Amino acid sequence: MNETWIRIDNVRLSRGGRLVLEGITSELSGRAIGLVGANGAGKSTLIGALLGVLKVDSGSIRVLDLELPHMAMEVRARAGVMAEQAGVFPGGSGVDAVAFAGMLSGLSRREALRKAHRALDALDVGEERYRPVRGFSTGMRQRCKLAMSLVHDPEILILDEPTVGLDPAGRTQFLNLIRDLRDEGRRILVSTHIMQDADFLCDDILLLESGSVAYSGSINALVDTDVGMVVASGEGLDAAFAEALGQYGYSIRNQDGERIAFEPNDDRELHRFWQLAAERGAEVRLLGRELRSLEDAVVHAMKKARGGTVEH
Amino acid sequence: MSAHVITAIARREITIALRRRLVKLLFLINLVPPIVMAVILIVNMAARQAGFDLEWDPLLRLLQIQAGPVLLLALGIGTPLVARDRREDVLFLYATRPVTAWSYTLGKTMAVAFPAVALLVVPGILIAILRQGLMEEFGLIDSLMLCGKVLVASTFMAWGYSGVTVGSSAATKKARWALFVAFLCFAIPGAVSKIIWGNDGYALDAGRAAEDLLAALFDGDFVRYGVVGALSLAVWGGLGAFVTAARVQREMRP
Repeated sequence: MNETWIRIDNVRLSRGGRLVLEGITSELSGRAIGLVGANGAGKSTLIGALLGVLKVDSGSIRVLDLELPHMAMEVRARAGVMAEQAGVFPGGSGVDAVAFAGMLSGLSRREALRKAHRALDALDVGEERYRPVRGFSTGMRQRCKLAMSLVHDPEILILDEPTVGLDPAGRTQFLNLIRDLRDEGRRILVSTHIMQDADFLCDDILLLESGSVAYSGSINALVDTDVGMVVASGEGLDAAFAEALGQYGYSIRNQDGERIAFEPNDDRELHRFWQLAAERGAEVRLLGRELRSLEDAVVHAMKKARGGTVEH
Repeated sequence: MSAHVITAIARREITIALRRRLVKLLFLINLVPPIVMAVILIVNMAARQAGFDLEWDPLLRLLQIQAGPVLLLALGIGTPLVARDRREDVLFLYATRPVTAWSYTLGKTMAVAFPAVALLVVPGILIAILRQGLMEEFGLIDSLMLCGKVLVASTFMAWGYSGVTVGSSAATKKARWALFVAFLCFAIPGAVSKIIWGNDGYALDAGRAAEDLLAALFDGDFVRYGVVGALSLAVWGGLGAFVTAARVQREMRP
């Protein structure tokens, strides 16, 4: 399961004379990979390139060890895609749309219909499947889109902003569905700008910032490798203590009552803090690194990546 | 390009079209001429037996009359096809599957062409068989020749009509605008032909082209006009497919 299934080597891609992706290089092997970035970072464009729909100016892409764009049809037959901007095949019922998606992926009519019902059952879609798709709620539409991407039993799933437009309860339910699919052994690429979704679903992330890679690797490594903040609490850690600590060159992030958060210049050099605490008779009860959220880590990585990137 | 995909698209579109009341009505209208022609054929035969020759070929008349309702049906099925997909933003959805722009285009074209061919060929061949059975002077070879002609005429007509209707549909996002574009595709070339050659000019629009092709095939007159008509229908079909594929290719992207 840990073999690399997406290899991107120095990809550059322009659209309409505008450079959208520049120097993208990454090898992705996690069960679930988050394709993360702000709106306009190039996520959808990269998905287009991964499906061979968009041709790269230079560089190479291999998905499931298939070279793109030459093997694009093979990749598309083995991938299930839930596209954000594309809806559900119009003109019929939910089950019609899902079965049609299966037929386009090569299933016979009978097999497509059977698998469409199975996919909709798995996603807890009841009798609503027989209603015309134009009357579907956002939640039903998203389920139908997910069923369309699953109907032909794809090896990989590419989900573009799967939780957009869902209410909180629907979002949680939908994320659980996707996580179940991941746990069943499917390899998933989730494009999202919602960090909680990426944190919930993914092992690895590919972080894009203005068309370039800001980070590629495991989420744990991204959260852990950054210096981060140190938090101390106890008696005597007041504003005056914070001011004195600042004079040692530490940057103070927050001081509130008996709690102080600061960023040391060097992660290993905390002796000045202890020295100051001893001098001022402060009683430190807790000292430790504050674990940052993925969102903080991503923002930090994006800030680091800025400068010399592609213009948008 | 996959035949399976083309068939799947065509079958789905025909199924969806047949759920619409307008298309159902047009389909029923298409059944009227063959029934009327069958009756006329029997009357014709009775008249001959009574010593009168009406000199009126029901097969040619059937195809000439049937061309109108078939064109209406083609407009009813074809004009919403691509416009609806463009409006609903589902073209990229096709691109995420092993579907090329040409598979998509041919699938949509077949959705129009197949019913058109069926509604021309099936009654045409039935009338041809009936004529052979009722009129002694027609032999098997004559009937087979007639069936071949019916097939050729129907194929050209269906291809031309589907090109006009599907191509017009690809040009807009609304079916009613597609209908207007299709109307222009008939009206403007027809007017140009009249300006250049007068009333007896070559057919540049698909409607006149079908008339000229039928006259050449079944009356044996004006063969040159029939050839131009066939070419005109082939060009309209090709042009419509090309416009659709080009448009779809451009929009099958994220």
